[in-house]
Amino acid sequence: MSRLRRAWPVVAVMLATVALGYPVALLFGLPLARQRMHDLSNWVTATAVAQPVAAVPDGGNILTFDAAPVSGVLVRDGTPLPGGYRQDGGTVRLAAPLARPAVRLGPALQGPVGAAGLLYRLPSPDDATSPLYAGGKLLHEGADPSHERADGRATTFTFDTASGPVAVGDRVLVQGRDYRAKGRQVTFADAPPFNADVRRITGDYAVLDPQQGVVALAGPTATPPRVGRDVVRLAERLRGSVDGTNRTFAFEHAPVVDIDPARRLYVNDRALSSTPERPQERVDGGRTRFTFASSSGLVTVDGRLMTPGGQYTRDGPVVTFAEPPRRNAEVRQYRDYLVRDLRAGTITLAAAPAPGSVVWAATYDYYARPACGTTLMQCFFGMPQHPVPFPNWIAARIVPYFTHYPITDPRNVVRGVLYTAAGTVSALLLGGAFGMLLAVLFVFLRPLEEALLPWVIASQTIPIIALVPVLLLILGNAGITVQTSLIPTALIGAYIAFFPVTVGTVTGLRSVDPLALDLMRSYAASPLQVFVKVRFPAAVPFLFTSLKLGAAAALVGALVAETESNNRLGLGYDIVGQVQAGNVADLWILLVISAALGIGLVALVGTLQRVAAPWDRP
Amino acid sequence: MGAPASAPTPHGPTATAAQPVVIRADKVCKTYRVRGTEAVALEDADLEVCQGEFVSLIGPSGCGKTTLLRLVADLIQPTSGALEVAGKSAAAAREAREYGFVFQAPVLYDWRTVLANVTLPLEIMGFARAERRRRAESLLAMVGLETFHRQYPWQLSGGMQQRVSIARALAFEPKLLLMDEPFGALDEITRETMNHELLRIWGRTGKTVLFVTHSIAEAVFLSSRIVVMTARPGRIQKIIHVDLPYPRSPETRESERFFQLTTEVREALRLGQAAAGVAARGVDGRPGSDGGAGAP
Repeated sequence: MSRLRRAWPVVAVMLATVALGYPVALLFGLPLARQRMHDLSNWVTATAVAQPVAAVPDGGNILTFDAAPVSGVLVRDGTPLPGGYRQDGGTVRLAAPLARPAVRLGPALQGPVGAAGLLYRLPSPDDATSPLYAGGKLLHEGADPSHERADGRATTFTFDTASGPVAVGDRVLVQGRDYRAKGRQVTFADAPPFNADVRRITGDYAVLDPQQGVVALAGPTATPPRVGRDVVRLAERLRGSVDGTNRTFAFEHAPVVDIDPARRLYVNDRALSSTPERPQERVDGGRTRFTFASSSGLVTVDGRLMTPGGQYTRDGPVVTFAEPPRRNAEVRQYRDYLVRDLRAGTITLAAAPAPGSVVWAATYDYYARPACGTTLMQCFFGMPQHPVPFPNWIAARIVPYFTHYPITDPRNVVRGVLYTAAGTVSALLLGGAFGMLLAVLFVFLRPLEEALLPWVIASQTIPIIALVPVLLLILGNAGITVQTSLIPTALIGAYIAFFPVTVGTVTGLRSVDPLALDLMRSYAASPLQVFVKVRFPAAVPFLFTSLKLGAAAALVGALVAETESNNRLGLGYDIVGQVQAGNVADLWILLVISAALGIGLVALVGTLQRVAAPWDRP
Repeated sequence: MGAPASAPTPHGPTATAAQPVVIRADKVCKTYRVRGTEAVALEDADLEVCQGEFVSLIGPSGCGKTTLLRLVADLIQPTSGALEVAGKSAAAAREAREYGFVFQAPVLYDWRTVLANVTLPLEIMGFARAERRRRAESLLAMVGLETFHRQYPWQLSGGMQQRVSIARALAFEPKLLLMDEPFGALDEITRETMNHELLRIWGRTGKTVLFVTHSIAEAVFLSSRIVVMTARPGRIQKIIHVDLPYPRSPETRESERFFQLTTEVREALRLGQAAAGVAARGVDGRPGSDGGAGAP
């Protein structure tokens, strides 16, 4: 009880340190959050597409669109409609009615198919990109993929949105029977199969299987939706003046995705090619003349745009550089256009469009926003990993961490702790015995101490982490492997555990009161009696103190040995695994477990000390 | 300073006029060599102690009292001179376990209980377990610690520890007790109590005691003879015969004779001090810096 009472200031200081230090430590995640926020590879991409008419018009001269570009171009089948309309947001007023209807509805979807009553089949798989209309209104497509990947075992999935039916692969599941939803979290009765698409339908419908033309509606409908064909769309007009000389135009959205096979740009009804042409000749560093497929276009070397006349001259498809491009340089010709600046979203056309022409984009991809959020704090709190994880993450990981493997599996954490503890204890026993033996020899054979002590000290200057692989190799060649025995772990732990024991025991054996030795001399005691009755008992408190240091050292040795073993056993192996997997929360759990193991072993030595040396004042 | 002028004071049934000599020192010298220079710790010590005597060595620090005691115990060896203990050489006497030694500090072994501390010499000397226990228990009862068998030394007061130390020295029943300021670290009250106890034990066991002390009163109260020593070099100055009758009691300390004897010892010490001062001045021009013997 008194020990507990004396412990409380220590506990209070520890708790205060954690309470004050933890929030500060959490801020170590801020640079990572900022990096995530700025790194485009962590951004969500969106596609700018030509918008279909939102409602089937009744022949009037007003068309409405749900989402409209700032400056739009009305197009049908890749051809801009002749002028004479005015756009105001999503509303376009036509000067004269269209020659053909703005929307021509195709056949209705087949269905419903499937148990949930929400699945329909498109008349043709080609209609997967066509707009769907129900009751004359445009339906919006939308699906939210789950955060987690289906691994065939997990049953709980998280979405960005909190409502909507859930689909796995090309099946729509029934709530209550197949899954239970709690806000953004959904728990399935059966685990979705490996690599299945787990989605939540957030729009009016989602295309579950484009190849088969399977579509899931968000809710039941009286009549099946119909496919809209030959639809007038509002496409994005690229910014830039069309004055016969300007060749630079800008996308409405930026940054633009670098490699974008879906990008479709047009000048009037002419589709622009985005594929770069390679020269027929090898770029060997000496050659200056290169032949391309087209006889016009923008020429780049290593991404830099060359100026015609100055840096190269053209003779049809043959381009002659003033300076030979360096060996293996990327020499390219872009026939129609070149994306000059991905960040700003600007392009340069090969030829300036004639006045009155329309430069427009049917579709292109761009980076919409950071996946983690739009503010630094959102990214900070939305990060999947932190250098210092949030307490609730650790708390959420503890139970799965301990129950992930059954107790019968050697990778079970409890068994890992026991394995490491066994390695540490054997290391401590071995190191303690060797250390004591060495100490006794040193005390009784002074020349031996003078001869060996420098070597003993030198042995401790060798970094254990460098020594471990060598020892494991030597022992492995001798047939003693980590797979079959604890000996390698024990030897490595003992290697660093024996030193404090030797030093402590030597000090202890020399700590005897000279008068106590005089007294033994007055009894005419034999040297053995002096050792057994006086020197050794006097060294016991020192021995236990050094054994506590040795226990901590043995644990380090055992953990290091395990990190370099390939036997999948022990906390050390687990730590390396979690580092490689990047599971920071698990690493912290392992840190706490290792610390608890160390404290426990030292406390065990302390308990032994109280039993073995009760005279030592408490 | 030769042999004692008269026989030791009888103090019990065994004390008679013609007792055998237990310690005989004949021109014993001890010189320490410290960093090239020689320091004379004891010079030409002649002393005879008979069986049953209680002899005290008194003198200022550095007068060789402890050196003489340790020479007798064979913890150190004399540089010259002959030393005979219990009719043998000092080394042989130590091997034969002729004496028990009590140090200024109790020198108890921390890891042994009080009882185990007392049985330690018996263990070393190979006594049977039952015999060890019987002796230790009776000795602890004699020093008044029968209820402290299971305690560890640190749980005892200084006086109690010293009593354990005395019991331990008596455990193997040596005929000779060598005591090096055993009560030096104790307060005055405890010390007087311990003095009475020591006399009681001495009276019961009839040991020969060679006792080193700083205290004139203690020396006079305990001893049958007092050997007054001087420092630089350590020499025997005078041997004073104490004729106070045994058994002695607190009243003894108040008797006229007690005061006369203390004065006599003090005079002898002062004389020795003066002589040493002259000698010291002769060597390095400075008076002896050592304080006088402890006043009673």
